[in-house]
Amino acid sequence: MSAGTEISRRAALKLFAAGAAVSLAGCSRPYEEILPYVDMPEGMAAGEPEYYATALPLGGYARGVIVKAVEGRPIKIAGNPRHPASLGATDIFGEAEIMALYDPERSGTIRGPNSISGWSEFFAELLARTDKAKSGAAPLHILTSTVTSPTLLRQIAELSGQVPGTRWFAYDPAGGAAEGARLVPRLDKAKVIVSLDADPLGPGPMQVVLGRRFIDGRRSADQRMSRLYAVESIWTLTGANADHRLALPPAGIEAIAMEIAGRLGGGNAPPADLPGEARHFVEAMLADLKAAGQGALLLAGGSLSAAARKAVDDANRKAGAPVDRIEPPQGLPHPEALGDFLASLYGGKVENLLVLDCNPAYDAAPGKTFADRLEAVPFAVHAGCYDDETAGLCRWHLPLSHPLEAWSDLTSADGAVSIVQPLIRPLYETRSAHEVVALYAGQPTPSGHDIVRATWRQDETDEAFENWWRGTLVSGIVSGRAPKSSSLSPAASPAEALAPEDAARTPPKGGFTAVLRPDPTIYDGRFSNNAWLQECPKPLSKGTWTNVVSLAPVDAQALSVEDGDVVAVASVEGAVEGPARIDRGQAKGVVGLTLGYGRLRAGAIGTGLGYNARLLAPGSLGNVVAGVKVIRTGRRAPVPSTQMHFSLEGDLGKLLPEVTAGEALPGAGKPREPVPSLFGPGPAKDPYSWAMVIDTAACIGCNACVIACQSENNIAVVGPDEVANGRAMHWLRIDRYDLGDAAEPRHGFEPVPCMHCEKAPCEPVCPVEASVHDTEGLNVQVYNRCVGTRFCQSNCPYKVRRFNWFAYNSGQEYQDLGKEPMRARFNPDVTVRARGVMEKCTYCVQRISGARREAEKTDTPIPEGGVTTACQDACPTRAIQFGNLQDPASKVNRLRADRRHFTLLAELGTRPRTTYLARVRNPNPKLAGDSA
Amino acid sequence: MTMAVGGAEIFPAGTARPGDDRRLTRVNTNEAVNVLVTGPLLDSERWRRWWIAFAVSAALTVIFFGSMIYLFVAGIGIFGNNSIVVWGYPIANYVWWIGIGNAGTLISSMLLLTHQRWRAAINRLAEAMTLMAVAIAGLMPIMHMGRPQYFYWLAPYPNTMGLWPQWRSALIWDFWAILSYLLFSIVFWYTGLIPDLATLRDRATTRAKRVVYGALALGWRNSARHWHIYQTYYRTMAALATPLVCSVHSIVGLDFAASLMPGWQETIFPPYFVVGAMYSGFGMVVVLCAAVRWGLRLEALITMRHFDIMAKVMLMAGTVMLISYATEWFSGWYSGRGVDRRFLGFEFAGTYSPLYWIMIFCNCIAVQAFWFRSVRRSLPAIILISVLINIGMWLERILIVWNTLSHHYVASMWRLFYPTLWDWLILFGSLGFFAFLYLLFVRFFPVVSMHEVRQLVREETAS
Repeated sequence: MSAGTEISRRAALKLFAAGAAVSLAGCSRPYEEILPYVDMPEGMAAGEPEYYATALPLGGYARGVIVKAVEGRPIKIAGNPRHPASLGATDIFGEAEIMALYDPERSGTIRGPNSISGWSEFFAELLARTDKAKSGAAPLHILTSTVTSPTLLRQIAELSGQVPGTRWFAYDPAGGAAEGARLVPRLDKAKVIVSLDADPLGPGPMQVVLGRRFIDGRRSADQRMSRLYAVESIWTLTGANADHRLALPPAGIEAIAMEIAGRLGGGNAPPADLPGEARHFVEAMLADLKAAGQGALLLAGGSLSAAARKAVDDANRKAGAPVDRIEPPQGLPHPEALGDFLASLYGGKVENLLVLDCNPAYDAAPGKTFADRLEAVPFAVHAGCYDDETAGLCRWHLPLSHPLEAWSDLTSADGAVSIVQPLIRPLYETRSAHEVVALYAGQPTPSGHDIVRATWRQDETDEAFENWWRGTLVSGIVSGRAPKSSSLSPAASPAEALAPEDAARTPPKGGFTAVLRPDPTIYDGRFSNNAWLQECPKPLSKGTWTNVVSLAPVDAQALSVEDGDVVAVASVEGAVEGPARIDRGQAKGVVGLTLGYGRLRAGAIGTGLGYNARLLAPGSLGNVVAGVKVIRTGRRAPVPSTQMHFSLEGDLGKLLPEVTAGEALPGAGKPREPVPSLFGPGPAKDPYSWAMVIDTAACIGCNACVIACQSENNIAVVGPDEVANGRAMHWLRIDRYDLGDAAEPRHGFEPVPCMHCEKAPCEPVCPVEASVHDTEGLNVQVYNRCVGTRFCQSNCPYKVRRFNWFAYNSGQEYQDLGKEPMRARFNPDVTVRARGVMEKCTYCVQRISGARREAEKTDTPIPEGGVTTACQDACPTRAIQFGNLQDPASKVNRLRADRRHFTLLAELGTRPRTTYLARVRNPNPKLAGDSA
Repeated sequence: MTMAVGGAEIFPAGTARPGDDRRLTRVNTNEAVNVLVTGPLLDSERWRRWWIAFAVSAALTVIFFGSMIYLFVAGIGIFGNNSIVVWGYPIANYVWWIGIGNAGTLISSMLLLTHQRWRAAINRLAEAMTLMAVAIAGLMPIMHMGRPQYFYWLAPYPNTMGLWPQWRSALIWDFWAILSYLLFSIVFWYTGLIPDLATLRDRATTRAKRVVYGALALGWRNSARHWHIYQTYYRTMAALATPLVCSVHSIVGLDFAASLMPGWQETIFPPYFVVGAMYSGFGMVVVLCAAVRWGLRLEALITMRHFDIMAKVMLMAGTVMLISYATEWFSGWYSGRGVDRRFLGFEFAGTYSPLYWIMIFCNCIAVQAFWFRSVRRSLPAIILISVLINIGMWLERILIVWNTLSHHYVASMWRLFYPTLWDWLILFGSLGFFAFLYLLFVRFFPVVSMHEVRQLVREETAS
């Protein structure tokens, strides 16, 4: 050994110690004080979980959450009941942020012009450029996605003041319409709702709230419940939950929107040119709307023209429809639109560019034109969580911290502001968007904590501010004060924001009309590298890991295309290819595409899946592209899917019964004589008999329960090939069945966890007694006793068990899911299952144990609501209820006596503890003849 | 090419010698029996064709064990099973091999008890078949398990946690059924071998052979007392064997019947599995008899009359199979349950229905040719039909697994099975391993029970 590499014992020990310290620091609380959510006991015990309120962005808007952290490690996200955009529930994107936090592909290093660099090197170059910008030579251009953070808005305004000529542009990659005031419909108060290509129940920052409100308006399950009409061109969750649905191409919807908005407003709008059935539908719908008076509500979707949206808004105003208007906060800067940015860029005027937390090279203007222009910008800086498509084209890439790692603030779509507090010190050398903007303002070592506090500090004593600050962190909601705003606001009129979208609507004649929607599980592409979301089945098609091209059956027939055939969709500007899906009930002449796929630099999980629908019209954020061609390629690419059959055969209608509003399900509500059993009496009567009741009428199919269950129970991701092999591991699945008929196809959702049968067929067949019953009625699986004969799943009539064919979580992970720090995501209360064992829903037995421990400390019984399952917590519509059958006053007992109550496959005598309430439909009697 | 033992000519004049082109058509002395059966074992010159077959089977055996090792390393995800069709090839292979294993003991014991003397020529080779088939069948459930390293947890061994297996599970009954059947088959087969091993010892040409066969013969001296004890013991074992043969496959049937799935939950399963087992077992015996007869030139011992009788047994069994299927169809329809009727529809017209129709042809239709004496007397026809029966019976087993698991109560979870390369390698590898073991048996042990044939010859020449 040469002298140069020799290490003394002392030095070696020092290095060991340093290494240990670094690895410990990997999962540490932030340096600044963070404050746990309200109900935390005082003092912190090792191993006891802590809960913190914070907020997470989706499309820029906040959803309040409560994050569970164990030993400084965030492991589970749930809704914040005090937050108006959460109401205690979550959506799939919020739940899956845990996966994003620990994503090994997340960017952790600064990349300079040629190589890995550092913050100080970047700052040195920045100073030189800023001096130039101040002289007016190369003004700063900032491009962001939607910004709702008061602090960031303040910073951008201040920066504009500091560096004159600074321009700020913002866009919504999901294609949301930029409007002055945001309209938040009160679906709970409306009696007749007409959705005109709007998708209030679909993915988005308000899905949770709108879903809750919609179901609240239908909770009575009688004639007082609301009625939903959907007029849309491709299937959305709103259409799937509608009582009546009419499929029309966008032009037809536009015409109907103008007509009903006009006629509802009392005017005499020209009747839209419609085929007979559609005319009948519209007349019946209009009569219903008029009869509803102030309960009538029209919802306009983003594919409608600005004029149609305005007409709908006027009609709503005139009718006094229940809509909340959220005015944008005063005194804050308004961004310019994407079109203006592209004009500047293509005009060669951009020399100094900061792309902040967005990915325009993928989601706004994919293609060579934009890429070449961006690459030519002398000082282009990309700040983002991933080294993505845009980062690859910029001179610098700065890694941004994950929202769970950094201080910030966010506004929800209905105007509530939250402070975002970090749960964990950044895992890598990352900084927040606020800190990056502060660098531009000339601060070499900014602190996100101080920047955010500065926004909220008023003229007050330190003590008063600290009290307010702490109170706000604890509750997760800002109340009683407005953010400090800047008087300097760049002038930009919001009306201009509509221009580029309308400009794109000069449709070439003929061909198909492509309708683009945010993907139900990947949204706008931001979540591409999130394996939970990739593997989450799309609510309607149950496909995973790719997007598809949906076609109406008549069109597919004309093209002689079958499910899984690869088709090319070509516009004037670009073409994409994807597997076809024939969708009964899609409008003729429309081809349905979803955003979020076709990533080129997403990471090991997301790169190379699906197609990028924005290629059809790069630079436009509109979600309709007219005049596209659809061509059969002759290749096949079947979609990995978790469900293959959707129709209910014969008396299988019992699987998902449906009643008309006000009717009772035959046989429900009365205690029934149980089917006799050879297997002796049931489990011994403990103080607790756990049971679950799921209201299928309240299930909007959003999948929040599926991802919540995956997060809570350490459920493995298996990858696209294994999903195609039929080995997806989700313990809770949402079955989707075809209802209705060919004339008016409808969908029904049915979440299926383990039934926890009292006479469980899985138990007597297990040769080693790995499947057993506990005294509280849970059917439990003893993983370390399981030898993997799989007789239990063979004999399970509900097919709810899942088998570890490979070591999906313990050595044979998909792609990089086994890499550090991915393993930090696991819930320490739940076993990570080994290869070769069977697993299934446990009713979150770890939560029951936790509640029992707490109850035993005080020697009191577990109260009603003392145990909630992860799926129940997540459900936006509260469709899932869990509780104790021994408690006569419990909610599950009440629901079991409901007149819509039914048991899945009751005739088998398995006596499930999980039971259901039937679906409810509230059809318009005038349209009742249209469908069975 | 005369064969000499102790320097003397052993063939009586006028009889053909093994290896002659002229086939031996009559065996009329004890000595002729001995020469005919032991000759090949004691002469190492005559095994060229055997070596070729042995090399092929050894290659397949390597594939079999190689696949098994890969299976244990990579996990059972390498098979085509999915979360819905959780059972697959190993279960079907298991039931099929166990079925084949049934025929040997059945031929030995039931025919012994019913004084079917013709069995003497084929019982030994059938018993060896049983032994090997059951041993291979026993490997299949282990390969089927998710955690094969813990297969012994199915046994009630003493352990610190006081855990016992679950006696209500059909798989535990099955565990005991296979184990007892395997142990019994070994003992029964070996007992039958003892007098013949003594014959081999006495005729051994080298000291090594004398020592090995001598040790295996357990000191058999051909005394009247030996014979008396032997006969009593052997008949008692045979009496025990008959119910065991029935129980083992009944219990295999219960693996399916003791469930609540459509297509499985049927009371007819145990008897129909026993008949099915006998059926495929006879099919395999026919194939093996034909091969051994050709390879070792035993035309004089294994005659066309044997094949004729076995064909009749198969005809009977095939007809019973048809009646069993028809009973299944009728009760499925008569139950009136939607799920059972839809299941029937899926069998006849669903995705796997081409296989189902092939199965019906192989198991029920093809065998009807045995009504004709000319077919029963045509060796190629008998072999062809026997092979068809074995294919059909394997299809029956895989379809029992696939149909029920693919098409059950909850329509959302209907899913199909697509086999992988590994499924096929294990299946054909197990056939190769079987051939490997059988070739070893043929090489080292007398394939025909000499003492029983000698007795038969004596009785016939005396009359």
